[in-house]
Parts: sequence; C-alpha cells; structure tokens
Amino acid sequence: MSGRKETVLDLAKFVDKGVQVKLSGGRQVTGTLKGYDQLLNLVLDEAVESVCRGTAVMLVSPTDGTDEIENPFLQPDGA
Amino acid sequence: MLPLSLLKTAQGHPMLVELKNGETYNGHLVNCDTWMNIHLREVICTSKDGDRFWRMPECYIRGNTIKYLRVPDEVIDKVQEETKSRTDRKPPGVGRGRGRGGREDGPGGRPAKGIGRGIDEGGARGQGGSRGGRGGLGGNRGAGRGRG
Repeated sequence: MSGRKETVLDLAKFVDKGVQVKLSGGRQVTGTLKGYDQLLNLVLDEAVESVCRGTAVMLVSPTDGTDEIENPFLQPDGA
Repeated sequence: MLPLSLLKTAQGHPMLVELKNGETYNGHLVNCDTWMNIHLREVICTSKDGDRFWRMPECYIRGNTIKYLRVPDEVIDKVQEETKSRTDRKPPGVGRGRGRGGREDGPGGRPAKGIGRGIDEGGARGQGGSRGGRGGLGGNRGAGRGRG
C-alpha cells in the first residue's frame, strides 16, 4: 500500500495521460496531467489553465475512452 | 442508517449521482471516502438538460458537488442487515475499566510511597500522625517520634 491513501481515486494512473477536469463554476479543462497532490491540486500540461486549485475541482475523468454517445436509457419498443 | 454507511455499502453497485450543476452520472461505485468523494467506473454522464450523453471509463467526483445519490433497493436492504448485526454484538464497556482498577491496587507502588513520606514528615515536623499512618511500618515509626 502506498503512503497516500487519502484519495478515493489514485491519480497516479492518470499522470501523463489526457484528463478532463470540470471545475465548479462551469469551466472545463482538458490537458495532460503532470502532477497532483492529496488536496487534488492539479498540474496540467497543454491546457487552458495550467494549475487548477484543488477546491475548485469537481470532476476528473480520463479523456481516453470518453465519447459522446446516444441516449443509452432509451429502450427500444418491446424490450 | 447513516448516509455514508449507505454509500459505503453501495460499493460495487450501480448508482446515480446528480451534481449540484444538474449533470448526472450513472456508474458502478468503486470507492468513496468520508467527504463523499467518489470514484465511479463505467460511467454514463448526462448533461443538465438531459439531451447529451457521454460514456467514460471512470471518473472521480468531488463530494461537495453532489446534490444527491440514488442507490439500488438491495443496497438499502444490505445496510439494514449490517446495522442490525452490529447492534446485536454490541460489547459491554465494563471489562476494561475493571482491569485498570486492579492494576493500580497492586502491591508495588503505594507502600513504597508511604514509607518515604512517613519518615520525612514525621521526623522533621512532628505531624506525621494522619498521613504517615497510611504508609505502614515507616510511617508509624515517624509518627511516634514526632509525638515523643
């Protein structure tokens, strides 16, 4: 076990990968994750904003594998 | 039933999370913490107005942005079972208290203290009577000398 078990999600696996970060207030940043800490302060490369304040981070997800899709909750008739 | 114990029980189950901004996230709960930060896998994100959808392999959601969570009924049943079994085997808090009391009454500490104090006070000031008496042999001798 690593020393920092503070976070629910270990961001180590996102380092040097593309991430999408939604900030409270409605802004959204995509970039390459270069670093982070327990407070979820992030260092992003090639992003609109290069340093995000941890408390503003609302959501982090990998850009890899994230796609817009059709409504998956619509059931075809008779299903 | 506590909200966070419900959330903890929901680990591994599918759930819906609506954020304060109106977006919803459907996915399987991987992990959560005491701030309600959550980690979802196989997520479908729905926009605020419900007409756009995104699939993402996983996502981390900061707890304080959550408006509410919906969990399946079986999770509710499960958490009720767990809280019930926890109250059933509630341990009485008596054992530890008794144990500590016994140790303090042990033969080592008090007589030694008593002897020291009895000799000192009794010899010098002549008022060892009440306090020195507790100390056993040494204390008694001190008290006697003081009076005589």
